[in-house]
Amino acid sequence: MQEQAASRVLVCIQCGKCTGGCPESGRTPFNIRMLVRKRQFKYAIEEALPWYCTACNACTLRCPRDVKPSEIIIEIRSSMVEEGNIPVTIQKALESTFVQKNPWGKPRSKRGDWAEKLGFKVPHISETEHKRLLFSCCIHAYDPRCMVIPVNVATLLNKAGYEFGILGEEECCCGNEIRRIGEVGLFEELMEENIANFKEYGVQEIIALSPHCMNTMKNEYGDMGIKVVHYTEVLSDLIKEGALKTEKPLESGIIYHDPCFLGKQNKVFEPPREILKSLKNVNVHEFVRSRDISLCCEGGGGRMFFDVEVPYQRNGEIRVTDAQKAGADTIATACPFCLMNLEDPAKEKGIFVKDISEILMEVI
Amino acid sequence: MDIIVLTKRVPVTQEEELKVAPDGRSVDLSRVPFRMNDWDNYAVEEAVRLCEKQGGVITGVSIGDMESDEVLRRAIAMGAKDGCLIESQTVVHDPFTRALLLKGFIEKENIPFNMIFGGVQAEDDQFGVTCGILAAMLGLPFASMVIGIDDIQKDTVILRRELEGGIQERISIKTPCVLSIQSGINEPRYVSIMGIRKASKVERRYFKAEKYLDGGAGSLIDVTRWFYPPKKEGAVILQGELDDACKQLIGILKEKGVLQ
Repeated sequence: MQEQAASRVLVCIQCGKCTGGCPESGRTPFNIRMLVRKRQFKYAIEEALPWYCTACNACTLRCPRDVKPSEIIIEIRSSMVEEGNIPVTIQKALESTFVQKNPWGKPRSKRGDWAEKLGFKVPHISETEHKRLLFSCCIHAYDPRCMVIPVNVATLLNKAGYEFGILGEEECCCGNEIRRIGEVGLFEELMEENIANFKEYGVQEIIALSPHCMNTMKNEYGDMGIKVVHYTEVLSDLIKEGALKTEKPLESGIIYHDPCFLGKQNKVFEPPREILKSLKNVNVHEFVRSRDISLCCEGGGGRMFFDVEVPYQRNGEIRVTDAQKAGADTIATACPFCLMNLEDPAKEKGIFVKDISEILMEVI
Repeated sequence: MDIIVLTKRVPVTQEEELKVAPDGRSVDLSRVPFRMNDWDNYAVEEAVRLCEKQGGVITGVSIGDMESDEVLRRAIAMGAKDGCLIESQTVVHDPFTRALLLKGFIEKENIPFNMIFGGVQAEDDQFGVTCGILAAMLGLPFASMVIGIDDIQKDTVILRRELEGGIQERISIKTPCVLSIQSGINEPRYVSIMGIRKASKVERRYFKAEKYLDGGAGSLIDVTRWFYPPKKEGAVILQGELDDACKQLIGILKEKGVLQ
């Protein structure tokens, strides 16, 4: 696990590169450079400010002094968590995760219910030969809009003859957002429970449906000796191998939105694009701000649970406008948080937002 | 100002599909998570806030099996100094018996207090009378549905109660006293896992429930049967495609005179 005190606040030279790449600074009261400065001099920090951060990691990637401003945010939030002084909505998410192992407080016993929507039985991981685990995010397990994604991916893997299993109600929140909210103890509990399950069932590979889950299990769970991949990486390979055929033409102009936790944080840029480029009659467009500089949807780092106090134009709206300017009728993405944050403004503008798995289901 | 706070560990059943055991005598809670009763959470927070201002010691008290230790750890993490578990292997549904146990425990163990706080009711059995019965047994004044503690004087507390119809009542009550605390009186603080881990190092005290019944009444109320309410008739499920179902619905609404 990464050290919590990973930040190097004292070496900051206040160059401003962090603020320059931040999707929140300058548009909301949040300013990462100012918070780092305040942390340097141990000045008081206004209570609401740290919660604007989306944990997109742009600041940390851009910093020339390796200050890791995004880790400083986690440290600040962590102090607030230990004092018990955090926004009520964040508090509810944490308490629900403690009790039900998901931030929405939905029953753990229903975590695997999505699998009942399949026309075939998905085995428990213990019953599989290759010990490949399909790991769903909490939002996939409980949100009606996102529940279609595990159903799609499971259907696609099954069609390609790619054996996999699930944990069902034994699965618990990965803790990616919990760590970024600053609840270190809870993150450790979730991680320990998941790792214990992985060990008990001899998991060899984890196919994460969400980039957020993939990120924390790959980079923050320590050396588990388990390969962790995003589902687009697996499906891209299956298409290349011919195991999954994308035969039906799809008359569409699709633009791909890089999720921060998949793209800039884990450098998985090509597999989703390769999938889209394999589709017949599809024009694949690119955002001006794509790949490493992709604009964050504002769903990460606990922002899904934080009610912002000031009105401002959301990144989702900007993204949808940019997609239209690029000539796309559909925004494709591979993260449930991006999907949720882009869909509302997209509906207003009359364009579609689809998960890559939804697009694939249309062409197989 | 020393305060005893009553805390109960309850199942989180809001989103669960509860199953009654085949014998009808219990509900299967084997897959249901538990937590501190929500009302008690507010009671602990209110006690902590008062003691932070006025000084004093908070003692968390719970009745239940050893699993109930988790709500005492939470109370300590919030600011209680001590936690006491009245250990009972069987579930004590009867609020009279619960009050009897609490009275016996508080008196026999000489737990110091100026006030006793409990939640208005427990999320599981919802009797809402334990605090009132306890006050009567101890011969102390009692106020229910407390939504604000405005002032604490030498031997009097000024507080607000919530009445029906949105009316509030301000009363003074002599101490020592028993108060049942309404949810919403404050915003309970977040208790971190690190905080709970630290609280685990604070020694809790465990007492056997049998000690406090004095050979007196066991449960005056017992659960004889759990059951689902009978399904009512009269609902019509509209069949067919969406358009057909909508046409049928409009027809029914017109027929009933709801839609002109």
